[in-house]
Amino acid sequence: MSEAQSQKRDHSMFDAELSGAVLNMQLLGRILRWLKPYRPVLFLSGILILVSSTVAVLMEIVISRVLVDYIITGSADSNMPDLGMIALTKWIEVQFETMPIYAAGILFAALMVVFSVTGHLHRLTLVGSIVKALRDLRQDLFSHLETRPFSFYDKVPIGRIMTRVTNDVEALYEMLRGMGSLIGEFVPFFVALTIMLSSSVELTLVLLLLVPIVGMTTFFFRRASREVFRLVRNSVSALNQNLQENLSGMQVVQLSERQERNLDVYTQINKSNRRYEFRSINISTLYGAFNDSLASVGLGVIIWYGGGQVVQDQMSLGGVILFTRFMNMLFTPVVMLGEQLNVLFRAMASGERIFQALDWDEQIHEPENPVTLPERLEGKVEFRHLNFGYLPGSPILKDVSLTVPPGEKLAIVGPTGSGKSTMIRLLGRFYDFGRGMIFLDDVDLNDLRSRDVRKRIGVVLQDFHIFSGTVLDNIILGNPDITRERAIEAAKTVNADGFIQRLPQGYDTPLVERGSNLSQGQRQLLAFARVLAADPEILILDEATASIDTETELLIQDGLRKLTEGRTSILIAHRLQTIQEADKILVLHHGVVREYGTHDELIAQKGLYYTLHELQFQDVSIDDEGNPEVEIEL
Amino acid sequence: MKSLLRLIPFVRPYKWRILSGYLTFFIARFFEISTYYLVAMGIDNINALIKDEPLKYSLGQVAAAIVLCVTMRFVFVVHARREIRRVGIQVSYDLRQKLYASVQSQGPDFFARMGVGDIMTRAIQDISLIQRLIAFGSIQVVIMIYAPAYALTFMTAKSPSLTLLILPLLPLIFIYAWWMAKAMSVTSRDVQDRLSDLGVHVQENLGGIRTVQAQAQEDNEIQRFWRTNNAYGEAFYQQSRIQSLMGAWMPFFASAAQLVIVVYGGMRVLDGQLSVGDLVFFLSCLNMLLQPIRMAGMFVTLVQRAAVGTRRLHEIFDAEPEIKDEPTHDTPEVIRGEFELRHLTYTYPRAEEPVLQDINLHIEAGEMIGIVGRVGSGKSTLLKQFTRMVNTNRGQLFLDGHDVCDYPLAQLRMQIAQVLQDPFLFGEPLRNNISYDEPERHLEVIWDSAEAAALRDTIMEFPAQMETIVGERGVTLSGGQKQRTTLARGLIRNSPVLILDDCFSSVDTETEEHILNRLKTMRKKMTTILVSHRVSTLRHADRIIVMDEGRIVELGSHEELLKQNGIYAALERIQTQGGDPKEGLEELTLTPA
Repeated sequence: MSEAQSQKRDHSMFDAELSGAVLNMQLLGRILRWLKPYRPVLFLSGILILVSSTVAVLMEIVISRVLVDYIITGSADSNMPDLGMIALTKWIEVQFETMPIYAAGILFAALMVVFSVTGHLHRLTLVGSIVKALRDLRQDLFSHLETRPFSFYDKVPIGRIMTRVTNDVEALYEMLRGMGSLIGEFVPFFVALTIMLSSSVELTLVLLLLVPIVGMTTFFFRRASREVFRLVRNSVSALNQNLQENLSGMQVVQLSERQERNLDVYTQINKSNRRYEFRSINISTLYGAFNDSLASVGLGVIIWYGGGQVVQDQMSLGGVILFTRFMNMLFTPVVMLGEQLNVLFRAMASGERIFQALDWDEQIHEPENPVTLPERLEGKVEFRHLNFGYLPGSPILKDVSLTVPPGEKLAIVGPTGSGKSTMIRLLGRFYDFGRGMIFLDDVDLNDLRSRDVRKRIGVVLQDFHIFSGTVLDNIILGNPDITRERAIEAAKTVNADGFIQRLPQGYDTPLVERGSNLSQGQRQLLAFARVLAADPEILILDEATASIDTETELLIQDGLRKLTEGRTSILIAHRLQTIQEADKILVLHHGVVREYGTHDELIAQKGLYYTLHELQFQDVSIDDEGNPEVEIEL
Repeated sequence: MKSLLRLIPFVRPYKWRILSGYLTFFIARFFEISTYYLVAMGIDNINALIKDEPLKYSLGQVAAAIVLCVTMRFVFVVHARREIRRVGIQVSYDLRQKLYASVQSQGPDFFARMGVGDIMTRAIQDISLIQRLIAFGSIQVVIMIYAPAYALTFMTAKSPSLTLLILPLLPLIFIYAWWMAKAMSVTSRDVQDRLSDLGVHVQENLGGIRTVQAQAQEDNEIQRFWRTNNAYGEAFYQQSRIQSLMGAWMPFFASAAQLVIVVYGGMRVLDGQLSVGDLVFFLSCLNMLLQPIRMAGMFVTLVQRAAVGTRRLHEIFDAEPEIKDEPTHDTPEVIRGEFELRHLTYTYPRAEEPVLQDINLHIEAGEMIGIVGRVGSGKSTLLKQFTRMVNTNRGQLFLDGHDVCDYPLAQLRMQIAQVLQDPFLFGEPLRNNISYDEPERHLEVIWDSAEAAALRDTIMEFPAQMETIVGERGVTLSGGQKQRTTLARGLIRNSPVLILDDCFSSVDTETEEHILNRLKTMRKKMTTILVSHRVSTLRHADRIIVMDEGRIVELGSHEELLKQNGIYAALERIQTQGGDPKEGLEELTLTPA
């Protein structure tokens, strides 16, 4: 993929709420693709539900047609369907030499067993294949995201991506399971409907008149509730936001004596939430009760209309009973369909988001015939007329040329936005750039696979990320070549051993990201240990600027010195100490190499380096005349 | 389970509403069973019609009665459900108010025990669990009592012998349902745990994606995710299996009861002791009888989870504010800012070692005091004593000659402004962030304090200026800008005492010099205490305290301390001259502590 193409991507799309209000069949088809491997099981599941719901209908027939018509009133010969149940009962009578009532009992018991077993197996097979399919989908999604380049993560907030792997996949489960149950409800619906139609077309049609009413109330309910539900959702998230912020800033709140005022604000939100909740239950209780009642109204219709039919000899008594028993089978799926529509629409939006992520093909260009690097690199890094910009027309680095000989230490300094971070990001192959610009031991970086490059270049970023696991896990980071001894050795070398030993369980102390038990300085030392244990030939470091007490600072300085010993190192430095110890210093400004040399040489020049030195290398902006200005980071 | 009793005080105010709900439910249920009764009657009438027997009521009358019953049931059910659900909403409203008020009075020890995320889950999940218990669970209790009571009464009236035959099946079903419900609650907890594992895993991994890629760990991570992902799938499947099993056995038991009705009831109809309508009625009643048992699983889970939720909420409600506000009312209304620390010793609750040990110090009103010391030396804890953000011991800290514990807490915090190390901004306009203690301040005054914190030019560059919304949902400020904003928030109060806790760390030295010089003229006769690691900052102070392991190890002016040639002097040398870190370390540790 070309660079220009990647510029055209609208990353804000990733952030936007997708419409998802339409039933997208193509989307549905894509979701089904993950179900494909489980097709035989799903097919079996379909047969099972067919059997199970037919049996459910047969059980009702045994009660109404066999028991009432054949055994009690003796009107088995009525022209109403019985699906062979009466004949079966007669056969059982003969086979077991028993009374008709017992024969009916045996038949009923047999059906009962079949119904339970097939129903259970149907649910198991259905849920099993959905769960597996979505597990696969989630895995594919995760693997895909895991390999997206930095440029993607630069522009898309993590929270947005995260919910795709968790909530959005969950929403798909709800939908698929819902569709499964809906099928489970509609099969008996049609079986029952067929029997009802063949029993009495007129009565069935009268009852079917009630169905559109259910459909209409569902429609009106959805319309009426949409706005209220939205208000409820908004007020709930306002409540949570307010509480969260108040909790996070509690010390400031208490020090400013704002408790009462803040409680007043919260009470207002809480009150409006209560008002909307009240409104929403007013609607939902009406809707729920109305649908229940409609099925019962149907009972009255059956008695009144069906009775007349019986008198005219068009229906048997058992037929009327059958109709009353079928009422629920007729209404449940329609009500459920209404409920499922909500789920379906929500799932459509989720599906859209998931596939948008899966279709996001932004990636680092990998060479077709990658060059294999030798066992051990010399460690020479060369930038040759390096030009680069994240966006066309706004170059970040302009014609940067520089060679770092093996084993040398280069410190890069410069004001905010000078392109320091970009330089080391390119060296780590985290972005695509043109050929012939960066060389590692005289090999063009574009001829190397990004992963091979990263194995040879150790990167210490400003924010040290802790993975949940022990201290040791965080040093080893899943690399099978690093033994416990080697990890501890590395920690000792960079002065991290001291504080690790003081932790409750030493190297086996579990660490957690956020609310972490480590100070900034300790995190930095741990990052050093992590890199040293991996023993890369080249080191890249973005020095942290946090406030650290002098003693820890000295430990860091010493650790860094050992880490860079005999290793080609490129450091974005903020500390005078680090800069002074470098072999060479590169001063970048607006992406251009402004000054280059040793500390003493540059001080003597009285140029930009001199100004930065005066400002203690804080991250400040400097205008073209070399004067500091106030920075804005938007 | 006992913890649910603690909900009683929250529910009590709405007892009449609940009673009215339960009562209308009782009536609604009567109309429900009457519907079935009338259907049975209609069937018998049809049967009579076939046999040309006379009818007491016409089919039309019966049908009309059915519709009437259904309508009545509808009216009563709507009323009952609405009443009960309203109570659920009311109670959760009250719980939220109480939670908000309780957390606001808590001190640092409480927040050390309970993180923001933890409190948020309690506020969101636990309260909604209780709301669900009241809105749905309590209705289920009513159904559990009313439904079988009605069904059994009507069934016994029709045929005691058939009712007796069905009865033994009920406890069996009930035991099974209970057992399943228990199994369900275990697996559903398992599913919850696995799901939250999954969320944490994704968040953590994507949060550190740059590290993962920089260390070429993608394959490893994808494999690691597979385990978490699969574990969730397995747990979910297990739960569904149990659910499905329950879904299979329940109708099986129900059908067994139906079988009894079909065979035994059928024989009684043949005897002429029961009518066909009675048979249908029994089948309908069976549904009502089994309804509560079907819901037992859901109910047990609901109760269990709400009980846990109630307990967790009460962990917050029960927490005594550790800092007691017990003013004696003989303290001056406006403080001058003179402090006397007498053998001040402080140990955090549940800690063994004291953080501050035997600190003796006199701070004159109007003095500027600098504090330096390594992480964990007790600087921040010392600062918290002045505003009583920790529970200061009585008789150890005096303000203008009075024990700080005798002052009203509100007064201490209004008249002593403290700027914290971590620059926290609210998701509000800059104006509100700076004038946080008093939002109604004149805009001029707010600009003045921004000016004093060297923030004016920055704010001028924002299009919305003072109305610029900052924080997560607004403009992201750099570390230095944040620090200067919180500094302005402290300065605007112009209070007799100002405490600055290491709040220049991201501000460049030149700007800092500028701010400090202004500060000195602005606060000429007022007390200022500032913590910093930088000697260049500390040298502005009249006196400097060097702290180590909870004690004052050096005390004096910049010049005096340099002459003493102790830790402070060593710090000065390291910071201004640089040199070998190893030697620097030795120098720091060799100095007498």
